[in-house]
Amino acid sequence: MKTTRMFRHSVRTLGRYKLRSAFMMLGTFLGIASLTIVVSVGKGAERKMLATIRQLFGTSSILVMARGTQFMGGPRADAARLTMDDIAAIAAELPQIEVWDPQQAIPDEPVRRGDAATTARVLGQSERFQRAWDRGVTRGESFDASAVNASARVAMIGETVARRLFGAQDPIGGEVLIGSVPFRVIGVLQPFGTDLHGMDRDNEIVVPISTLMRRVMNVDTIAAAKLIVNDRASVAANAAELRKILRERHAIPAGRPDDFTLLTAVQIQKTLAKVRRVLFLYLPLVAGVVLLVGAIVAAALMLSAVSERVGEIGLRRAVGARAGDIRLQFLIETAITTLIGGAAGVIAGYAGAQMLATRFHLGEVFSWPAVLLGLALSIATGLLAGVVPARRAAALQPADALR
Amino acid sequence: MIELQNVHKTYRRPTGEAVKALDGVSLHIARGELVAIAGASGSGKSTLMNILGLLDRPGEGSYRFSGEDVAHLDVNEQARVRNERIGFVFQTFHLLPRTSALENVELPLVYSDRHSIGGLGRKALEAVGLGDRMHHTPAELSGGQQQRVAIARALVNEPDLLLADEPTGNLDPRAARDVMAIFQELNRSGRTIVIVTHDAEMAAHCNRIARIENGCIVSDEPVEAPKRTLQETA
Repeated sequence: MKTTRMFRHSVRTLGRYKLRSAFMMLGTFLGIASLTIVVSVGKGAERKMLATIRQLFGTSSILVMARGTQFMGGPRADAARLTMDDIAAIAAELPQIEVWDPQQAIPDEPVRRGDAATTARVLGQSERFQRAWDRGVTRGESFDASAVNASARVAMIGETVARRLFGAQDPIGGEVLIGSVPFRVIGVLQPFGTDLHGMDRDNEIVVPISTLMRRVMNVDTIAAAKLIVNDRASVAANAAELRKILRERHAIPAGRPDDFTLLTAVQIQKTLAKVRRVLFLYLPLVAGVVLLVGAIVAAALMLSAVSERVGEIGLRRAVGARAGDIRLQFLIETAITTLIGGAAGVIAGYAGAQMLATRFHLGEVFSWPAVLLGLALSIATGLLAGVVPARRAAALQPADALR
Repeated sequence: MIELQNVHKTYRRPTGEAVKALDGVSLHIARGELVAIAGASGSGKSTLMNILGLLDRPGEGSYRFSGEDVAHLDVNEQARVRNERIGFVFQTFHLLPRTSALENVELPLVYSDRHSIGGLGRKALEAVGLGDRMHHTPAELSGGQQQRVAIARALVNEPDLLLADEPTGNLDPRAARDVMAIFQELNRSGRTIVIVTHDAEMAAHCNRIARIENGCIVSDEPVEAPKRTLQETA
């Protein structure tokens, strides 16, 4: 009974000092909001990264990318010298390479079907595309080696392309123009969604690499290749071998930089670890500092409230409040303000996180641990901020306080 | 009801100098009395008031309240005695700002062990003639009305003793007389009241005046014909 009365009384007291209560809430609000944003977005980003990496990269892949030598500050396209033969030679020399798939690409190519037109990323791949990239078709079929050998004009299209060009119709067997070259649609790619760069990976068309190189782009180099090593532990060794072979084949003298880039799962893991450190250490640390500042502000406001309310404290003691009751009242007051600020912070933080997540295609970011952490931290902030003022208030001698 | 025996109290100034606030005060007050403790400022009357109200402890001497030795109770038990058996009225009212009269009056009940507090605050406010001002905040009340709210607060827990420290010090003469009339009326209905004041006119409203000088009671005598004021409702 008595505790309920004291609790109700404290809540009403807070309502009487709205501005001060609001400022006390503000600190916790900002701290918890930033913490919630950081943690939620961090979790979402991490999940997205891991999924993308797993999907694209597996754990034992080597990615070789052609790199044009720099000329007058810009890349020289014709200096890219990675060829199909290079990759074939590597695969022949390194027995641990299980699968390899070359790639050529046009980032934005006009695609048409009758009146319907759009632009899409067009990828040229080998018949090993599905194995190497772990992405098959949901309808129709993939092309095989004979299609690649014959530079057949067949295409697998992504869901977005299918929707834009065919609407509700079945695209299988339909004809599309990539640039000015007609292709027959033989399959619809498994949906992927958006990747880390926010790119819609369903707005893609995969065609045989030979067809793309000869009939669409008229080039004899490839952009990249993915090679999968059959043993995770030997990825680094194979990558080193690969580099040696490529430098030899490209006749790069010692001391000159590579004209290609190698990327392995190990390197990606290292980058990921760096990103994780930012996501889960530095950013929460910054948010934590904000929260700490909020706690200090709350404590300072409460302390000044104690000196402002000396007479009130004396009166309360005179009418029968024990030192413990006074301490409890001040603790309740700070705890409630910071809890309200914290709860608002969680809501705002979550809303902010959801906005960022939508903007950067991170999917669902709501996480109960983040919410509970936010609320727990705001209560902790309140208790921390309330302890010193509450003690000071309780330590006042009633006779002195009434003077 | 109040038996104060040879009470001494010495304060130490921050400079280290000792100040004798009370120097052997003995005071007996029976149930139902209306007593003024009169004295100039610095005479020790506030210290005496604090000791009577269990807001301070005597340095030496004994204090029995309703036969119980209260000087040596621990602080929480003293708080309970203050809550249940003593009502305080102060010169500066000490009302909580931005808080309704009713809530102010109910403040002692917040700290009481009573199970239910319903209606007590309303009753006390009606007793001081403020039944129609229950939801006004102190800023919306006159000084006299504020002091009456404070008296209602002192009465809400039905205490044995009402202690008033310069209750009319901040009031204009008319409001002061009103407040004294309320004290007289409460006393007539049996309440024990001790009023600390330096104002001879206010002291003259009481049935007995104890004068204090330099920490000693210098005279203690009944008032032949206490001043009466017709209670005017402000």
